[in-house]
Amino acid sequence: MGPADGGDRTHHAAFGKRFMSRFKRDPDPVSAEIQDYLERETARNLEAGMSPEEAAFAARRKLGPVARVTEETREAAAGGILTWIEMLWRDLRHGVRMFAKNPAFTLTCVVSLAFGTGANVAMFSGADAMLLRPLPVPRPGEIVRVGSAFTLGDFSFIRTSYLNYLDILQQSHSFNGLTAIATVTYGIAAEEHSTAQVKSGAAVTANFFDVMGVHPVLGRGFRPEEDQVRGRDAVIVLSYATWQGMGADPKILGRVARVGGIDFTVVGVMPESFSGPDRDAKPAFYIPTMMWPVITGDPGTLDDRAYWAMDVKGRLRQAITERQAQAELDTIAANLERAHRDTNRNQRLTIATELEMNIRQNRVYTALVAILTLLSMAVLIVACANVAGLLTSRAPLRSREIALRLAIGAGRARLIRQLLTESSLMALAGGVLGLPLAYISIQLLRQIQFPNDLAFVPRLELDQRALLFSMVIAMGSVILFGLIPAIQTTRTNLATAFKSGSSAEPGRRRFWGRNLLLAVQVAFSLVLLTLSVFTYRAFAGELSDAVLFRRDHIAMMTLRPRGLRYTDDQAKQFYQMLLDRVRALPGVTSAALSTAKPAGGMDPIAIAPEGFHFPPGQTSVIAAGSRISESYFETLGIRILRGRGIAATDTSSSPLVTVVNETLAEHYWPNQDPIGRRILVDGRWTEIVGIARNSRYLFPTEPPTDFLYVPYRQVPLLDLTLFAGTAGDSAGMIEPLRKLVADINANMPVYNIQTMEYYYSARVTIIGHVITEIIGAMGLMGLTLAMIGLYALMSYSVSRRTREIGVRMAVGADRTNVMTMIVRQGLIPVLAGIAIGLLLSAGAAQLLRTSFPLGYDIGPATYGTVAPLLLFIALAAAYFPARRAALVDPMTALRDE
Amino acid sequence: MSTEPNSDRVELLQGTLDMLILRTLLFGPAHGHAIAHAIEQGSADVLQVEHGSLYPALHRLVRQGLLAAKDGISENNRKAKFYRLTPKGCKHLLNESSKWDRLTEAIGRIMRPSESGS
Repeated sequence: MGPADGGDRTHHAAFGKRFMSRFKRDPDPVSAEIQDYLERETARNLEAGMSPEEAAFAARRKLGPVARVTEETREAAAGGILTWIEMLWRDLRHGVRMFAKNPAFTLTCVVSLAFGTGANVAMFSGADAMLLRPLPVPRPGEIVRVGSAFTLGDFSFIRTSYLNYLDILQQSHSFNGLTAIATVTYGIAAEEHSTAQVKSGAAVTANFFDVMGVHPVLGRGFRPEEDQVRGRDAVIVLSYATWQGMGADPKILGRVARVGGIDFTVVGVMPESFSGPDRDAKPAFYIPTMMWPVITGDPGTLDDRAYWAMDVKGRLRQAITERQAQAELDTIAANLERAHRDTNRNQRLTIATELEMNIRQNRVYTALVAILTLLSMAVLIVACANVAGLLTSRAPLRSREIALRLAIGAGRARLIRQLLTESSLMALAGGVLGLPLAYISIQLLRQIQFPNDLAFVPRLELDQRALLFSMVIAMGSVILFGLIPAIQTTRTNLATAFKSGSSAEPGRRRFWGRNLLLAVQVAFSLVLLTLSVFTYRAFAGELSDAVLFRRDHIAMMTLRPRGLRYTDDQAKQFYQMLLDRVRALPGVTSAALSTAKPAGGMDPIAIAPEGFHFPPGQTSVIAAGSRISESYFETLGIRILRGRGIAATDTSSSPLVTVVNETLAEHYWPNQDPIGRRILVDGRWTEIVGIARNSRYLFPTEPPTDFLYVPYRQVPLLDLTLFAGTAGDSAGMIEPLRKLVADINANMPVYNIQTMEYYYSARVTIIGHVITEIIGAMGLMGLTLAMIGLYALMSYSVSRRTREIGVRMAVGADRTNVMTMIVRQGLIPVLAGIAIGLLLSAGAAQLLRTSFPLGYDIGPATYGTVAPLLLFIALAAAYFPARRAALVDPMTALRDE
Repeated sequence: MSTEPNSDRVELLQGTLDMLILRTLLFGPAHGHAIAHAIEQGSADVLQVEHGSLYPALHRLVRQGLLAAKDGISENNRKAKFYRLTPKGCKHLLNESSKWDRLTEAIGRIMRPSESGS
C-alpha cells in the first residue's frame, strides 16, 4: 500500500496546486497532458505522410471533443466534492463574464428582481408581524381556539364564559387539554408603596402552562390545587419583561407583587421567548382563575354563564381533524342550549386556528396585508415579465452560444448546470439587492406608532424567514422565467442555429409569446397603478379631509376605577368630582368623559330600533357606540345636527336617552325624523334625542359607520377616558391633570396619558403617510419596471425586423409608413393589456370593497389618470425604437444579414 | 460525437478499458499516448479505443491507487506523464483477469455450444 499512498499524497498535492493555479490562470497539468497527446498523435500522423493540417485534424478526431475530455479527466482525477466546487467556480466565473459583457441586460434583470423581491419581503415582514408569525410555543400549529362566535359588523371574535368552559372541558374528547384565559388589567407594583403601573395580565387555569407547553424559567407554574378554591391561593407568575422591570432579582421567588391592591406571592417567571398565549395578548403577569373574582370584586366572572370574557385554547389531538372537533362541539353546543336556554340560545360553538383568529379579529391589518400582498404580487409579476422579456430577447444570441458549446463537446447536463448557475447568480444578486429595499420599507413601516400603553405592537423584523422568503421568490421567478426558456435553447438544432444566426424567423409562436408578455406586463402595471392611486387618494383624502373631530388642544388620560374595585356609586362620584375639578382648573376650557377615542375604538352595543324588521331568528344587531358625559360633543368639536347632545341631567333616575349619528339615522329611518323614536339599547327602551355629525370611530379611513352615544351615567361602572380642552399648549396641562387625579385618589390607575396632537399623529397621520409612501413607492416601482420592460420588448421586436423594414423601404415605403406600422403593431398588445388591466382592477376593487374599511372607491378619475399614463408610456417606448427603425438605411439593413 | 463508428472494429465493453490499461502497464511504465496505441495495436486494431476516454480512466485508476503517476522524460526527450502499476494494481489485474477468463468462457459456451463442449 506504500506506493499507492505515496501516489495519493502526491496526487492531492498536485491537485491542490492545480486548484490554486486556477486562480493564477496557469495552464493546468490535465490540459498539458492532453496537449501532449495531441502533439504526439500529430507527429505520428505526419510520419505516416499526412499534411500538417490533416495530421492535426486527425489527432483531434482520434481524441474526441477536447473540452469534454479535459473536463471528464479533471472530474475523474479529483472525484467528489472538489470538482464540484471547481466546476461551480468555473460556472460562476463564466456567469459573471456573461453578465459583464451585457451590463445593461444584467442591470435591468437584477434591478427588476430586486424590486420584485424587495416589495415582497417587505410585504411578508408586514404580514408576518401582523398575521402570520406563529405563537412562540412548541408545535404552534396544534393550538386552536374554541368558543361562541360573536360578530360585530366586520369584526368577529370567539369567547367563552367560565361555566361553559367547564362543560366543554368535560364533554369534549378532541383536545389535549383546554385552558381558559381572561384578560385582567390592573396596576402592578413590586411593593405596597411603589407606584403601580397599569398592565394587562391574564387569569388562567392551572393547566395553562402544560397546554401551552411553556414552563417558567424561574420557579414553577400553578399547581392544580392552587386553582380550586376561590380566593385562597394568591400566587402569581410574572412575564420576563415584568421581572426585568422589577429589577430582575434572581431571588424574586417567594417575594410579593401587588396587583390591583392585592398581595400575590411570586412563584415563577416565564421565559423571555414566550410573549403570550396569542398575538394580541402580551400578559405582564399570570394569576389563577380562582383569583379572578377577587381581583375584579365581581363573583359573576366565574358564576355568570353569560360572562363572555374568556378565551379558551387547546391543542387538537393528533389524528383529529378540525371538522371532527367541530362536529363534537356542535353536539356540546346543543347540550348546552338544552340545559341553559336563557344564556346559550343560538350560541354556536366554533373552533378556529390562530391565523383564522388573527384574520377575524384584525380586519384592518388583514385588509392592509391583502392590499400590500396584491400590490407586491403585481410588482413581482411585472418584474418577472421584465426578466422573461429580456431573456426572450436574448434567446437567439444565447442559442448560438449554446450551440457552439454543444458543438465543441459540452454535455447537455453540463450546460444546464451552467445555465442554472447563471440564473441563481442573477437571483442571488436580485435578492441581495432587494434586501436594502425591503429594509427601507420596513423602516418606514416601523414609524407607525401605537398610541396605547396596553396595545399589541407588531414587531417588524427582517428575520431569517423573510430572507428565506426573498430567496425563494427570487429563485422561483428566475427559474420559472429564465431557466425554462434557457433549457429549451439547449434543444437547439445545431445546424439551423448556426445557419440562420440572429435572423431566425420569429415564428408565430414566439410572436404571440412576446405580445402576450407585453399585454400581461401592461395589465399588471395598470392594476398596480390603479390600486396605488386609489389607496393614495383614500389616505390623502382622509388626511386633508374636512375636520371630523377636533385634533388639537386636548389632553387625555384613561382612568380605571375598577382597578380599585370601586362600586358603581363610588365610581360615579369619582367621575363627577373629577369633571368638576378639571373644569375648575385654570387653562382648561372644557372637560368630558368617553369610553372610546375618536378613530380609536368603540363599545359593542346591541340595538333594535322599534318597528325594524330583522331577519327571522334575529332580534337585535350589534352596533358600535360609546358611553359619554355631557360636553363631549363640544370638547371634541363634533357637531349636533339636530336635537340635543348628552346632558349632565341624563342620569340613572331620568329617562334613558341616546344620540345617534347621521349614518345610523339614515340606515333605520331613511327620510324620516328619528328624534323622539325609540330604540332598544342593550335590552332597554331608549329615546333618541339628537343626531350627531359623522366622525371617525375605528379607523381613519373607514367608510361611514353606524354609531350611537349613550350617557355614561345611565350604564354601570366603566373605565373612561378624560378629554380636557385646553386654552394653551395641551402638553403643558398633562402634569396638572395627573396631579389632580392623584389628589382625588393617589392609587387611581391612570394610563394612556397623552395629548390629542400626539394621538392623532400616531393614530392617523403617520399611518397615513407611511401607507401612502409605501404604496406610492410600489406604484412607482411598477411604473419604472413597466417602462423598462416595454422599451426593451419594443426595441427587441424592432431590431428583429430590421431586415423586413429594409425590404419595405427598398420597395417604396417611406419613414412615416414604417414608423406608423411599428407603433401600431406595438400598441395592439398594449391596448389589449390595458383592457385586461381595467377588468382586473375592477375585480381587485371589488375585493377591496368587501374586505377593506375604506370609505372610497376606485372612481373613473383614477382610471382616467392611469390608463392614459400607461398608454403614453407605451407610445414613448414604441416611438424611440420605431424612429431608430425608420432611420435605417435600407441598403445597410439588407446587407447586414 | 466526432469519430464515426467503423463496422469492422469492436467497441470496448464498459469496464474492460481499465483492465486493458492495467494489462498494458504490466510491461513497464508508459505515457498516455503510448498506452492508447499499445491497446489498439495489441488487439491488431480490432478494438477501437476512443482515446479521449483513456485519460479519465487513467486518472480514475490513479485515484483508486491502482496506478501511480510520475513526470518523466520520454524516449524522444520530451517531458511526459508516466503511469505505472502499483502492487495493489497488480493484484487487481490478477483478480480481474481470472474473472475475465471465466466470463469469456461462459459467454463462449453460450455463443458456440458445439465448440466448447468437447
